[in-house]
Amino acid sequence: MRPKFKIPPQVLRILLLAIGIVTSYSIARYFLTPTTFRQYGWYRGEALSELQAREPMFAGKKACEECHSDEMAKLLKHEHKSLSCEGCHGPGQAHSDNPDVKIDQLNYGPCVRCHEANPSRPKWLKQIVIKNHYTGSKCTECHVPHAPTEVP
Amino acid sequence: MSGEITNYVFEAMPHFEGYVYPNEATPQPLWSILIVLYPYITGLVAGAFIMASLVRVFNVRALEPVYRLSMLTAFAFLLCAPLPLLFHLGHPERCLEVMMTPHLTSPMAIFGFVYAWYLMAVLLLELWFDYRRDFVEWSNRTSGLKTVLYRLFTVGVTDVSEPSVKLDHKLGHILSIVGIPSAFLLHGYVGFIFGSVKANPWWGNVLMPIIFIMSAMVSGIALCVFNYMVLNWVRRKTIDMKCLDVMCMFLFYALVMDAAIEGLDWIHRVYSAEEGFQVMQYMAREKLFYTLNVGQATLGTVVPLLLLGLLQLLRKRVPELARRRMYFSSAVLVICGVLAMRWNVVIGGQLFSKSLRGVMSYKMEFAGLEGWFMGAVLLALPFILLIVMIKLFLSEQLPTSASLEARDVAAK
Amino acid sequence: MSRNVSRRNLLAKIGAALAGVLVAPVARTAKAAVQKVFVSTGAAKGYDPTKHRWVMAIDANRCIGCGLCAEACKKENHVPEGPYFRTWVERYIITKPAPGSGAARGETLVDCPSGGMHGYPEPAVPKEEIQHSFFVPKLCNLCEHSPCVQVCPVGATFDAPDGAVLIDPKYCIGCGFCIQACPYGCRFLSPITKTAEKCTLCYHRITRGLKPACVEVCPTQARVFGDLKNPAPEDPIRQFYENNKVQALKPHLGTEPRVFYAGIDKEVR
Repeated sequence: MRPKFKIPPQVLRILLLAIGIVTSYSIARYFLTPTTFRQYGWYRGEALSELQAREPMFAGKKACEECHSDEMAKLLKHEHKSLSCEGCHGPGQAHSDNPDVKIDQLNYGPCVRCHEANPSRPKWLKQIVIKNHYTGSKCTECHVPHAPTEVP
Repeated sequence: MSGEITNYVFEAMPHFEGYVYPNEATPQPLWSILIVLYPYITGLVAGAFIMASLVRVFNVRALEPVYRLSMLTAFAFLLCAPLPLLFHLGHPERCLEVMMTPHLTSPMAIFGFVYAWYLMAVLLLELWFDYRRDFVEWSNRTSGLKTVLYRLFTVGVTDVSEPSVKLDHKLGHILSIVGIPSAFLLHGYVGFIFGSVKANPWWGNVLMPIIFIMSAMVSGIALCVFNYMVLNWVRRKTIDMKCLDVMCMFLFYALVMDAAIEGLDWIHRVYSAEEGFQVMQYMAREKLFYTLNVGQATLGTVVPLLLLGLLQLLRKRVPELARRRMYFSSAVLVICGVLAMRWNVVIGGQLFSKSLRGVMSYKMEFAGLEGWFMGAVLLALPFILLIVMIKLFLSEQLPTSASLEARDVAAK
Repeated sequence: MSRNVSRRNLLAKIGAALAGVLVAPVARTAKAAVQKVFVSTGAAKGYDPTKHRWVMAIDANRCIGCGLCAEACKKENHVPEGPYFRTWVERYIITKPAPGSGAARGETLVDCPSGGMHGYPEPAVPKEEIQHSFFVPKLCNLCEHSPCVQVCPVGATFDAPDGAVLIDPKYCIGCGFCIQACPYGCRFLSPITKTAEKCTLCYHRITRGLKPACVEVCPTQARVFGDLKNPAPEDPIRQFYENNKVQALKPHLGTEPRVFYAGIDKEVR
């Protein structure tokens, strides 16, 4: 009978340890990998719906039109038809959900933000040098923002 | 900013010059001192291990006195290596994700595996095979807590017969051979983390992993020289000059290769002068002048090269005390020079805008997670661990090359 | 002897099967329990990401530098105060060459005060010295080969099937590698959540049929947004592609941005 081969004790111990480590890693991995991981790719598929879940701040022009169709009709006839309501009036989701929540009152800020003369702005845009243009306090004294070509 | 970079200071922001992307205008770079320390410490691990392998794999008998010291150095530093990485994370509690769902296209994802492999399969095992007989012996000789500790380290294997110890030695040798590519992998991949960032011309460079490996070897060997000399000084033992001479010879040759590769890198950068070269030139001249030109190039490379090179030529003629002092100062200079190199890579790469139109400044704070104090603590930690390990595992009398030769002769 | 072995084999097999049957459901319930602790479950259904392909395009000729987009983005996405932007507007000024210098152009000056979100004051350079000046809105370039996704070590940032490049805020470890890898500076580490953040194309809006906030408020339609898989009649994005010769930012990096620019200069990067 051939002498029986015995694994040396230190090697055996190490093999057992290695198996233990790999096994515990596999078990940990099984439990700690999120369920929707690899649904679409190497990420949590659930993240997509979680990112969708946040509430918007800006309601969009359509939401404004639902109540303010008269103003919208006026706006669409003039140069400012491409402007979004919330660009000047600020985010309106809260107001759209509950009309009692008021939207901020406007001053002349939004007008000069675009129309103040600046050599970097494209030439097709109407621009004014404020100190040469008017020294009063409000643009709306002469202009109607929703119908800029009209004079009140 | 210099006129060559076609730019202009617009805003009165004190720590930016030129234009930086709005998201880059943060007061601190995203990766700061912790990420400087991380490649530094891993580099020391890899280097110290290579040092130990010179004995095991390449059979450099003169270095046998420092074999165990180098291995323990590598081990102590490896235990601390992931700490800076962990602390810099925004969510350290999620760190296990890198093991659970490693995204294999990311060089960072293999960190967990390379680290685990290197720690458990290479360093711990090799140390265990080397120490197993001693553990058994010590557990019989000592008493109290130490016995329990040493017995624990034997993991229940008490066979110290001649063939068993021989097997230990053989397995240790194999592990050592496996360990060299592993050490290169451990540190090469750290270099690749930076080298693979094509968005950043300071980092994105094929030579980066090689530079990291070379500088790692240099710093690791220098650290072993430092540790060996300090240990002997603390223990009031005489230094084995033969061992020290050989160590510093290897340090010199490693430094020659390191300097050559890094020089090549710079020559290539200057010659090809690709997009972003101007901003890099400005950085080297202004922002990184002290750490790059003075710290890394002059004090960290040229001076030790001269010192060590001189000693290679005139070893016999320089008295021992002067030689020891020159070795020691070279080792310290190299250790600091490589730290400066890591700083230049990590911080330097974040001191200019990716728009290549502006630069940022960075003043390190003292307190806080990314401050001087934390950096010093993290750098001191491996040394404290090493002291504990030396107390536990390193015999009071290191073998000398003379005694080893005598043993060899007797064996024959 | 052999019968003995086969019986033992059979027993082992039955045992293994039994163990499997017993263990599998236990493991599954246990996993569900663990998952509940670690990850909360999802939200609204009904949107199929595989049926859309969102994209944005920038017509720099139309940008007037009002900065409403950058401001709206901060508000819509609760972007932290300070140097953190998911979208911003840069101003480029190329000066006239010094007389007699023989150069075609002078210096290129770029600025972006507060990401442009409060609009732009007059430049420091007098009008007469300007050869050329324009605004460039910036946002995530939606790279085909996103370096940021490539380097994320855990799979927390990804190319969604509908074309958005997103970050999973519950999975990001905050290592910052993606921020280093983005060549366009479009990502930042949020000081509040300690995770990386970036333009999501307003994912919560577009999946509800709204436009991204920046597109919604843009007064001049310099930002064009659309769904390449569901083209609307007279789709602005189709018109943009048909009417313009386009270019992408930093094309030499091979990231293949899907955000195309019309009307920008070679100095833009």
